[in-house]
Amino acid sequence: MPELTLNDVLDRSTILTDVHAESKEEVFNILIQRLFDQGYIGSIEEFTEAVHNREKEGATGIGGHIAIPHGRSETVTKNGVAIAILNHEIPWESLDDTGAKIVVLFTVGASGEGSNDHLRLLSLFARKMAKAEVVTALQQATSVDEVIEAFQD
Amino acid sequence: MFIAGVSACTVGIAHTYMAQQKLEDAAKAAGDDIKIETQGTIGIENALTAEDIERADIIILAVDIKIAGDERFEGKKVVKVSTETAIKSPNKLIAKLHEIAGK
Repeated sequence: MPELTLNDVLDRSTILTDVHAESKEEVFNILIQRLFDQGYIGSIEEFTEAVHNREKEGATGIGGHIAIPHGRSETVTKNGVAIAILNHEIPWESLDDTGAKIVVLFTVGASGEGSNDHLRLLSLFARKMAKAEVVTALQQATSVDEVIEAFQD
Repeated sequence: MFIAGVSACTVGIAHTYMAQQKLEDAAKAAGDDIKIETQGTIGIENALTAEDIERADIIILAVDIKIAGDERFEGKKVVKVSTETAIKSPNKLIAKLHEIAGK
C-alpha cells in the first residue's frame, strides 16, 4: 500500500479561492456544502452542528488571519480538509485578534471510524499550520496551485 | 534544560499538534531539549517514558481536557496552560518555564 502523503489530504475539489463571504456562517455554509458534494460528509446539518460545537469551545482563529475550524462527527465519511481563501478578511475569534482570510475546515471521523492513517495526516497538516513559512505562503496564495504549494516542504 | 510535556485539545486533531509543534520550535530556539507527548484523536503518540519524566527539569501540560496518566508527574514541577496559550505565546511560555524551573 503506497504511503499516504500530505497531498492525499489536499484535494483540489475542496480548495476554493476568491471566496466572497461576509461572516463565519457564510464560510461554513459554502465549505460544508462543498464537502457534502465531494462525499466527505453524509449530513450537512449534523456536520454543521459539530463545527458549531467546536466553535463554542474556543477560538479557532490561530493568528496570521488564518482559522482552523473543525468538526468531529459520525457523519464524516472521509477525513480531510476544505480550504477557502476569502477575498477579504472577516471577523473571527482568534488568538491574536486578527480576523480570518484563510479558512481551513477539517473533517474528523468519530473515534473508531476512518483510517488512523488519514487522521495522522490531518495531524501532520495541523503541525504544518504551526509553521511560520507555511502561514506566510498561504497568506500570499491566490490560486489553488499556490495553496497546494504552500504546504510542500 | 530538558522539558517534557503533554498536549491535548478537545477535538484532538488540530490544536493538539499545533501546540506540540510550537512548543518544540520555541524550546529549540531557546536552546532547550524537549519532548511533547500528544494525546489526540489518533491516541497517544510520542509517549513519555519513565526516564523522560525522571530527567525532565519541568513538565508542561498544554491541555484543554483531562489527560491520561497525569499521576506520572507527581513530585515534578508542573505548569498547566491551555493549548491556545501554547500556540499563541510559545516563546513567553518557554521563558516562564525557565523562571519556574530556576534554570
